[in-house]
Amino acid sequence: MTLVPESTMINPASQVAELVRVVVKGLRATQMYLPNNPVYQRSLASLRAAFGPVWEFTDSLVLAVVESDLIWEQELVYEPESRSESFAWLLYKDGMRILTLRKGVEDEEILRFLQVVNQARLLTADAGDDLLTLLWAEDFQHIDYRFAEIVAENTLVLDPQAVDLEAQHRPDEAAHVIRQELLQERPAGVVALDEFDSTLYFLEEGEVEALQAQIQAEYSADVRGPALEILFDVFELNADAEVRAEVLDILEQLLPGLLLNGEFAVVARILREMRGMAVRVQLKTTEVGTRFEAFEGRLSSPEIVAQLLHSLDEAASVPPDEDIGELLRELRAPALETALQFLPRLVHQGVRRRLESAVDRLAESHPREAMHLLDVGAPAVLAGLLPVLGRLKVQGAVPAVAKVLTHNDPALRLAAVEALAAIGTAGAMGQVERALEDEDRAVRLAAVTAVTARGWKGALKYLESVINSRGDREDLERAERRQVFEAYALIAGPPSLETLGNILIPRGLFRRRESAETRTCAAYAVVKIRTPEARNLLERLTDDKELAVRNAAVRALREWA
Amino acid sequence: MIDAPRGGRPASADSEDGFLRHAGRQFLLSLYAAMRSLKFYPLENDAVQNALSEHEEIAAQLLERGGEIEVRLSGDFIFVNGTRLRLELDNYAAFGGILGTLRGFDIGRMRIHEGITRKEWQAFLSLLLSLGTIEEAEERYFTLIERLLQAEVKAIELVQASQEHDQDEEAHAREVAKRTYSQGVAVTKEVLNSIRLGRTANIRKVKRAVQMIVDQVLTNETSIIGLTTLRDYDEYTFTHSVNVCIFSVALGRKIGFTKLQLYDLGMAALLHDVGKARVPVEILNKTANLTEADWRAIQTHPWRGAVTLFGMRGYEGVPYRSILVAHEHHMKTDLTGYPRHVRPRALGVYSRLVAVADGFDAATTRRTYQATPLEPDQVLREMWENPKRGYDAIMVKALINLIGVYPVGTCVILDTFEVAVVAALNPDRQQLNRPSVRIVLTADGGMVPPPGALIDLSERTPDGGFARSIVKVTNPDRYGIVVGDYFL
Repeated sequence: MTLVPESTMINPASQVAELVRVVVKGLRATQMYLPNNPVYQRSLASLRAAFGPVWEFTDSLVLAVVESDLIWEQELVYEPESRSESFAWLLYKDGMRILTLRKGVEDEEILRFLQVVNQARLLTADAGDDLLTLLWAEDFQHIDYRFAEIVAENTLVLDPQAVDLEAQHRPDEAAHVIRQELLQERPAGVVALDEFDSTLYFLEEGEVEALQAQIQAEYSADVRGPALEILFDVFELNADAEVRAEVLDILEQLLPGLLLNGEFAVVARILREMRGMAVRVQLKTTEVGTRFEAFEGRLSSPEIVAQLLHSLDEAASVPPDEDIGELLRELRAPALETALQFLPRLVHQGVRRRLESAVDRLAESHPREAMHLLDVGAPAVLAGLLPVLGRLKVQGAVPAVAKVLTHNDPALRLAAVEALAAIGTAGAMGQVERALEDEDRAVRLAAVTAVTARGWKGALKYLESVINSRGDREDLERAERRQVFEAYALIAGPPSLETLGNILIPRGLFRRRESAETRTCAAYAVVKIRTPEARNLLERLTDDKELAVRNAAVRALREWA
Repeated sequence: MIDAPRGGRPASADSEDGFLRHAGRQFLLSLYAAMRSLKFYPLENDAVQNALSEHEEIAAQLLERGGEIEVRLSGDFIFVNGTRLRLELDNYAAFGGILGTLRGFDIGRMRIHEGITRKEWQAFLSLLLSLGTIEEAEERYFTLIERLLQAEVKAIELVQASQEHDQDEEAHAREVAKRTYSQGVAVTKEVLNSIRLGRTANIRKVKRAVQMIVDQVLTNETSIIGLTTLRDYDEYTFTHSVNVCIFSVALGRKIGFTKLQLYDLGMAALLHDVGKARVPVEILNKTANLTEADWRAIQTHPWRGAVTLFGMRGYEGVPYRSILVAHEHHMKTDLTGYPRHVRPRALGVYSRLVAVADGFDAATTRRTYQATPLEPDQVLREMWENPKRGYDAIMVKALINLIGVYPVGTCVILDTFEVAVVAALNPDRQQLNRPSVRIVLTADGGMVPPPGALIDLSERTPDGGFARSIVKVTNPDRYGIVVGDYFL
């Protein structure tokens, strides 16, 4: 017989070592690449292929995990340079001692296994899971593992207990007791064979279906509500300050997580419940009451509101608008300043709408806070607050808003004009008048629009002076000039026709003809008067020598029609 | 030759048991080495011949001492001449290899007789290697027997595993169940003590313990349920939690929970009494009659448990389901019971299920303030028939369906005047009243040491009648019987 040279024989240990090397490489690939990455794909293909040679000589690969090494059939098949890089150590540190991979593992389970190992690697020391709890949940069919006992010390030893000899009868006595017992009347409640009907205890099909439906319902229901209600009940039913303080602690700890997960409706519910309970159990004067107020106030503190709005505006997916609204409705006065700062710059329209409502509510219910902010608020706050005051028509805010008309920032002055215009009282419009002479064109235009819209006669004096002063008039660029003319016509009504007619058709020998631009503006203003005289005037202008005036008259008449 | 045992002279080295443990281990290692060398090298190779020589020498020493070598497989254990060999890191591969090979041929027992020759060893090992490719284990076994006969191998006698008595499997299953149970109790104790001392409880351990219990219920339900009969008086709170967990998971399985749902259920059940860690120990351990104030303190444990679980770290999220169960497990279906509630509630499936498991285990256990436990069948009947108890009727029905009318652990008198302990439910639903029992007292009153003979009460006599029937349920204390001993 010819001996086969040893060099040509398979060396199973080296095949296993090679497989382990590829597995480790696969683990790295799961850590570094996304599943669609070609490197990841290649690594996975190599991993699957690497099992082939091993399955040639065994159907199951049993690896002993010895700290950072792996041993197969008493041979070292994996020995990394350091423990920190060791694949085996990831298994060992969580208690795995023997890992068995069976044929078929390469199809799909090895990948899931590596993903779980990777997931476990990233767990923090105080996490509720470890490698073994995660592996269990995967329910592998081709992977087995043995692990160290969970509790090494103080484990109860379950061995037969010493029989209580004193309680025991001698055999003949015991036999006697048995017979005596059988002669006694059957105690109540004991099942008698003749009255037993097994079928009574079978679950009927309908009952099984009902239970299944209940299990389904249990898993589709939101269990947080009933669980939180326990805390509310405990708080309400226990006068013990320590218990209440503990419940408050829990709620405080829950809030960040709930906010982080966008559980706004739940947070709102907690706040509402707590507020209701504070009234019912009369907490006001107690230490717990003070803590509760502080707790409620914390959600409205500037730093928390800022985080909330930041995260909402930047989140890829935001909670439903109703949930956001529900939470924002719970904000308190201290939140107003931060909310106002965010309001003008929020990008997400849904969030913005909800925040506007919240801010309106806060400003309305806390006018003093709003006034205070008008006095001391940063420009960003004022920019948010002024429209709110306008929307809410807060008459008491007029003096404070009017002060903003002298602010250096033209945008704020503009906002103040719009707010005053929205408030629309005589006092407010009187302040708007001041803005007609503002140095900023946008502010002036807003003021003109405002007085026009309100038909504010107080503005006539100023408007007339501009129209009658050739210098002032010509200083205005065309659009503004036209708006002033139109405002004048609209506010003054038919009496303005004379002034406008004089500008359009100069009379008298020495009367200087106005510029075509001014006359055009006047023509557009005439159409606003809407009297037969105004129409006549416009018709006469259709023959004007200046093309621009003729065109304006024609357009005005068309508008009239 | 057989090496001296490692690590100095063990105390047992001189004893028969110590010798067998050591020599048996060497025997298996050399057998495995010979098999491996034959697998990779031709018979003539020195490596094969050396391995066979060494094996022959070790076998000869064992034969000289005992006249025969018997290798028996039982679950994951190997016994050599009745001595169980310890699985260690440096021998696990050899053990695994031998176990795998013998199981592959459905061999449960192998006897080596004096006078075995090298030729017989060679033939036997070569056949184990070459016949391994046959598809069916049974066919493999019979082919092996046939080929051994052809090769005139007479000194090796094989017994098919499936012909072996099921007791070995049972013993192994009980061993695993015991480990699981012990771990569960230890973990529960650790968690409750941590809470009592204001320390952070290790949730990972709780999860592992529950996962082990779920695995046991799924693979070895009878053994693990049997252990619930232990009812350790001193460790009541802990064993009770584990028992409730086992009953709940088994009940959940019965009514169709998935594996992951069983895990959720097990977690909730194991932690259902966590609030007791915040009730003064003096009250929990009070043996005298409990005062009104003591009862009030005990009745705080559900809400204290819920509050504790809210604050327990280590969960990915808040364990809402466990919180609900901790809070609601003493509420009746009409929402009376305790604790009180202000807001409207509806008891969930988990709470109703754990309430039934809790009620059953608590009533059948001797506790500090319940010196005489009720018999299991009485408890079930009360739960089933008395609506004032407030248990969910379908859950109670499912419990009876699970554990039978005579639940595992019930002590019964048979019509043969024997006293027995119910060991397993009859798998035939029509015969729930005829479980398997272990005889504890003989008809003449003699105590049978654990585990006692296992008797199937549905067995019939040749004339068609039943060989044994339950006549009545009795109190094991009356006969000094410790029921738990018959499940260990």
